[in-house]
Amino acid sequence: MSGDAPVVTGWGSVGSCGHEVRAIEAALDAGAPVLREVDRSAGFHRADGARTAAIPNPISAAPWIAPMAARRMSPPSRYATIAARQALASAGYRAGEGPDPEFAVAIATTFGPASFTQRLLDQSFDEGPGAISPMLFTECVANAAPAQIAIGTGAAGPNHAVSAREAGALTALGRAVRLLREGRARRAFAGNAEEVTPLLHALLDRFDALARGTARPFGAGRDGFHAAEGATVLLLETAAAARDRGAEPRARVVAVGGGFDPTASPVGWGEGAATLAAELRRTLDRAGVALDGIDLVVSGASGSVGGDRLEAGLLRAVWGDRPLPPVVAPKAVTGEYGGPFLGAALAALKGRLPGPAPGALWELDPDLGIELAHGRTLARPPRRALVTSVASGGAAAWAVLDAP
Amino acid sequence: MTAPPRVAVTGFGVVTAWGWGVDAFRDGLLSGETAIGPFGRIDSAEHATHVAAQVPDPPPGLRGRFRAQRWDRLSLSDRFALAAAAEALDAAGLAPGFGGRRAGVFFASSTGGMIESEDYYRRLRGLDEGPAALRLLASQQVSGPCEAVARAFGVTGPTETVSSACASGALALSDAWTAVRSGEVDVALAGGADSLCRTTYGGFNSLRSVDPAPCRPFRKGRAGLSLGEGGAVLVLEPLEAALERGARPRAILAGAGASGDAHHMTAPDPAGRGAARAIGEALDAAGLDRAAIAFVNAHGTGTPLNDAAEWQALRAVFGAEAGRVPLTSTKASIGHLLGAAGAVEAVATLLALEQAAVPPTPGAGEVDPEAPVRLVAGGPLALDAPRAALSINLGFGGCNGAVAFVRCDDGGGDAAEPQVAAAAARARR
Repeated sequence: MSGDAPVVTGWGSVGSCGHEVRAIEAALDAGAPVLREVDRSAGFHRADGARTAAIPNPISAAPWIAPMAARRMSPPSRYATIAARQALASAGYRAGEGPDPEFAVAIATTFGPASFTQRLLDQSFDEGPGAISPMLFTECVANAAPAQIAIGTGAAGPNHAVSAREAGALTALGRAVRLLREGRARRAFAGNAEEVTPLLHALLDRFDALARGTARPFGAGRDGFHAAEGATVLLLETAAAARDRGAEPRARVVAVGGGFDPTASPVGWGEGAATLAAELRRTLDRAGVALDGIDLVVSGASGSVGGDRLEAGLLRAVWGDRPLPPVVAPKAVTGEYGGPFLGAALAALKGRLPGPAPGALWELDPDLGIELAHGRTLARPPRRALVTSVASGGAAAWAVLDAP
Repeated sequence: MTAPPRVAVTGFGVVTAWGWGVDAFRDGLLSGETAIGPFGRIDSAEHATHVAAQVPDPPPGLRGRFRAQRWDRLSLSDRFALAAAAEALDAAGLAPGFGGRRAGVFFASSTGGMIESEDYYRRLRGLDEGPAALRLLASQQVSGPCEAVARAFGVTGPTETVSSACASGALALSDAWTAVRSGEVDVALAGGADSLCRTTYGGFNSLRSVDPAPCRPFRKGRAGLSLGEGGAVLVLEPLEAALERGARPRAILAGAGASGDAHHMTAPDPAGRGAARAIGEALDAAGLDRAAIAFVNAHGTGTPLNDAAEWQALRAVFGAEAGRVPLTSTKASIGHLLGAAGAVEAVATLLALEQAAVPPTPGAGEVDPEAPVRLVAGGPLALDAPRAALSINLGFGGCNGAVAFVRCDDGGGDAAEPQVAAAAARARR
């Protein structure tokens, strides 16, 4: 079964940790996020609010995108296109001439190209709607990033922009895997792209979503997450497509699924751990995945007060009386929304767990019953990892990755 | 290995500028009139154009039905989605909770709660009076309508929002179709919702893509699209399971296709190659011969480039018959609903199949000789026992989607269809 599952053969990422896989792995080793002060000069922020976000250093698109095309792209489109090209390079895949109708794209975004949308509205409000730049509008759409990936790489299969808030990256991965399984594509890009503007940062802070200091997943007194800007894109292939070109899989995606917690409010997390646990168990059962075979959990816990509580409840409900396998929460390092969470999951599958030990950074919330394995060295690399995310508003998604 | 189940549509609901509900939509479409005209959702005085298709105020009972969801705090898109979902579930005979069946929501939206976000931003900047209340942002994300539906009706299975511009609705239907076929869910709510807002109205005007008059798809001298708002939801479930519980299948969602142009952010591939692949995939997945298609509900935006590219796609798929297949564009009646377009137009397609009458495309003027489709115009076109129809949606960034529906009460199709028709008739009795 696992041998026929779609495989990950490459990935790329642009983010605050760095713009290469190696840099992100190094940041995960260090176990701390790379944060920058957010520009608060527009006056939208609360005086005592969060001040930092995981925002990337400027990156030259030159090696990846033609200068004229890059100039017209919104930041998420630029990040995503670079990450997609990095993914191709890391997979050793050379695209053929012309569009490839068997190459799909599924990219998640929560807020879309926020800076372009804000600029468009400012133009409209300040100078009148006649002043709106058509160039801004064409890049305001939520599907700008997946469309630009397709244009830039010739991926002419099904093209999905998906949105599921904090569960977006895993939802996009799930969509790509389904397209491959159904035979509607042989290859697919899957990932996430996001932009954190000062306005968006201020608004997230007004919702009390952001950490004032360091985010502490599953931590006592945690107060929020780090908003992250950037993009991460995985190259997925059917097992046959990868085999045909002699590509080396980095992981096999043996199960994908999702659920919804109807007790969630539109702006927060609910209390439906048992409901989501039933859905997750159903996904595992359908894929023939036994709990005993899962030897690592890559949790989407981010430091969010309600989200981490639900995530912990979900994991405890799934495992019941059995001991949980080692759990890591790489969003402590990668941040939320635009961070390389999927990349961190791939790194963890190689046995590269975020470090250092959590006690050095934060105390865990005893009520949640989750021990973090950050900084631990596993006796052997994990063979199978469950990757999860629960989102505000009710959505949840998960995947099971096997080591190749 | 068993064959995947056929996917029945057992209920649908819709909200458009013609009103709240299927009846108003059906009557509006068949009238041959257009709901596009002056509107007040946003102030269009300073815009280059001044027409759109705005949804009228809701009927008084709706606020009470959704009291628990705090109707007054919902975004417009959320309200459209909830009303359409309620109508769809009522028609399907399904109650919230779905009687133990595993349900999922597969939804489409281009802008979600954008108009409320714009209101918030104007207040935050001091351009409008009133507090910049965070509740205006509660459904800001494009996933808002999907989540509102899942929350209101007790869905616990997978939810997914597609925001692939104007193709979103067709892609959401496609995703729901595969979820039912694969057994991932027992019931899928597939749909979309979008409201008018300043961003899209100003944005499309900045591209000079908006016709100052109601849009005229496929007509010579057409000058662009007209924007609209609304939503639709379709209930999908395995045919046999639907019949077993006594539901009345309204049609079979027989096939779906999706593709990308990989060509340009706004301009379609002029040869329509990507669109042709999506259409062909939908037909092949449905096992339908081209000749089985009784009519096409085209994307038909009314922009010169899009209609021309869509014609090329139809030519590639139907060959010499392309100009003989009856074709209608719902957008001339209710405007372009962007992310919601695919879902609403799917409902229009189902209604036309059921009634054996293709609604006309409002507007006057001769058909563009460069895109010589057989445009249904003037009045409804009566069909003799139509078997199947196509609904097509093509979007910004070269995203394409198509879905094929088969009528299930006429005995047409493969050998199993008469049994289905008989069972469906029994269910109706």
